Amino acid sequence: MTDQADFLTEFSNALAGRAEAAKSAIVAIRLAHGRHLTGMVWRPEIVVVSEQSLPQNDDFELVATGGAVVAARMAGRDLATNIAILRLAEPIASPSIAAGEAHTGAVALAIGADGTGGASARLGLVNLAGAEWHSSRGGLIDRRIVLDLRLARHEEGGPVFDAAGACLGMSTFGPRGQVIAIPTATIARVVPLLLGNGRIARGWLGVALQAVAVPDALREAAGQSSGLMVMSVVAGGPAAQAGIVAGDIVLSVDGTSTHRFRKLARHFGSDSIGRNADLRLIRSGTVITVPTTIAERPAA
Amino acid sequence: MRESARKPAPMARLRVAVYAIDVRRRSALSRVVAEAGHLVVGAQDAADVVLADGDCAPGETRRVVILGSAGDDRAGVLSRDAGADQIDAAIRAVSAGLIVRLPDAMDAGFGAMRETDGHTLLTPRELEVLATLAEGMTNKAIARRLNISLHTVKFHVESLFRKLGARTRTEAVAKASERRRHETITL
Repeated sequence: MTDQADFLTEFSNALAGRAEAAKSAIVAIRLAHGRHLTGMVWRPEIVVVSEQSLPQNDDFELVATGGAVVAARMAGRDLATNIAILRLAEPIASPSIAAGEAHTGAVALAIGADGTGGASARLGLVNLAGAEWHSSRGGLIDRRIVLDLRLARHEEGGPVFDAAGACLGMSTFGPRGQVIAIPTATIARVVPLLLGNGRIARGWLGVALQAVAVPDALREAAGQSSGLMVMSVVAGGPAAQAGIVAGDIVLSVDGTSTHRFRKLARHFGSDSIGRNADLRLIRSGTVITVPTTIAERPAA
Repeated sequence: MRESARKPAPMARLRVAVYAIDVRRRSALSRVVAEAGHLVVGAQDAADVVLADGDCAPGETRRVVILGSAGDDRAGVLSRDAGADQIDAAIRAVSAGLIVRLPDAMDAGFGAMRETDGHTLLTPRELEVLATLAEGMTNKAIARRLNISLHTVKFHVESLFRKLGARTRTEAVAKASERRRHETITL
């Protein structure tokens, strides 16, 4: 009896210890109406936040461990990877962050800010640790990490730790309330870029596209069975300047077939800005090629 | 039985303050509110519900129905082009202490770019037929609009049902719009 009780007690005490230690790894970001969001202390003067939930303000008030209120300024946001960073007016104590590797089935401890300088904790498993993926906004995320735990709205943006105390990433919400983590490796890659520029430059044509089947009669001429139909064109954008119109079906960009979205996303990295790109497309039943010039995606 | 035979109580008339920066927009929204049987009151008057166009009522502490803004902390959130029915329903629900959200909001979250399954992709013609279904058109009317035979319309509608896994027209329209939400990519 005692052996098992000891094991559980030890397990419980270890978790409580981790949650206590994690207090200095988080801040609360004050929002309107007494609400708050969690931020992850990345460096003594830099806090990482979930971009999708952060209001479009320039200045923020943070509550650090113990309840100290610190002013912070927006220092950059990247909606493609869901990472925003705030720069603190004065540095705060920050724990060193060791990057952890996510394994399916491993224990995950998610920490949130309670809004008054304390921490809240959530325990679950790494529901799924998978390969790298592209977000619908075109960002490359180093690994798919799905967590089997619940998260309150105000706990989003906090660190997720493994059993060894290493940081798997930042918690955030995927579609339908699924809790996922943006991997530490992705944050480590994006933060320096954001610090340099305030944002991450991406190539842009100014079109919204939806996959469609190429009509049977045109398959031979197109050389493929699916394409991306232009649903809307941003006025004044590169596509509009090149004469692209809604209803055009894009077959390839510079020879890269639009059949594979992920490959296409790679085509629009920061190095693509200013480059010419030939769009092969179907317009009114014929296959034509339209030259365009990739521009920089405007800030959201 | 006696219960259901009784006449329903007249819908309550609510006091609604309308906020909009654009004057024409404000008068249009005020008209919608008045035609739904409510009383449009001034910004500073006592109101049961505030109807706000976008983020133009910051710091408002009363119950707010917001149009076309994320407004996570508002009781009611509608799209900017919400119809009169939706606005009336949201005002009544919010005044009764409920929360109103669009179905889209449930899908919000940081998600992956989806690779589409080639077998169920719609053709441009099927998308056209789908748009007419969304307008509630009959097969006959669709045939006239798209200048194709009734037989061809039926063929396209059946193909849409199969690809979308839908049994009714309404279901097809709903499933297609959900797909569009997930699968639209911007470049």
